[in-house]
Amino acid sequence: MAEEVRKYLFDLLFKVDGLYCILITDRDGVAVIKVATEKTPEMAMRQPFLSAFSMATDQGSKFGLGKNKSIICMYGNYQVVQINDLPLVITFIGSQDCNTGHVMALKEQISPLLQELKKSVVES
Amino acid sequence: MENLCKYLSCCFSCGEDSSSQAIDSNERTHLLVDPVINNTSIQRVHSDDYLPCDSSLPKKTDEQSALNRILQETATNVIDVAALGSHNLEQHEYLERTNYYTAKLSTLAKWSFLKNPPSLLVDIPVPEKVLSASPISSLDLDLMNIAVEKAVNALLDLKLEPGEDLVVPFRIP
Repeated sequence: MAEEVRKYLFDLLFKVDGLYCILITDRDGVAVIKVATEKTPEMAMRQPFLSAFSMATDQGSKFGLGKNKSIICMYGNYQVVQINDLPLVITFIGSQDCNTGHVMALKEQISPLLQELKKSVVES
Repeated sequence: MENLCKYLSCCFSCGEDSSSQAIDSNERTHLLVDPVINNTSIQRVHSDDYLPCDSSLPKKTDEQSALNRILQETATNVIDVAALGSHNLEQHEYLERTNYYTAKLSTLAKWSFLKNPPSLLVDIPVPEKVLSASPISSLDLDLMNIAVEKAVNALLDLKLEPGEDLVVPFRIP
């Protein structure tokens, strides 16, 4: 059954030009499910890189601007969009010229899947 | 004269009373009212857990718990840059969790919610039928072309003719 989810996410992945990877992880960066193309950088999918977001979003929520929802990082060759939906974290990795707004809008389409996945994620 | 003396003495005594009251109120009022009240309330709340005869031990633990609470509040409010360092999971824990998630994913059977949103362009089941249908007659096509041309010409000829003055003077005397 996980294949169906993977297929669904792949369909979303190919809808956005320049999007390489969709990762749904827990707060420690352990992947619950991931779909990735060959162009995805290996380093960006590792657990230490992904887990840094949960701490950054915790600290970022203390600026007095409200709860931090997402962090977008632009690099020379890639962009990483991470969305806070604790206990889950959604990570999109794409090319530097990928349409960021389009990527952010994918969250709405993934949200029913996230609701189901939250039931199976351990609280740590 | 006696009345005047009585009046003056009364006034003096009243003044003395009011001044003494002011001094009393100054002595008795606390500058830090709220913290004292808060402290007493904390002690009351926490001292319920302990025996009433043992007075020294609850005070210390109350202070400790109050201090711990302040420490926790500070820790939650302060932006701790040092805590931003990534913490690595142990390899076996990582593998355990990954296996756990894959097992959970395979057990979840209902994926009916995974439906793509309806698109504007809908697929036609048998396109051959639609494509092989006879085209419209040339007369109909001409009629449509002529009608559209007339509509376009009518829109282009649309002009606004001013009938009245644009500036109207108000009847102000």
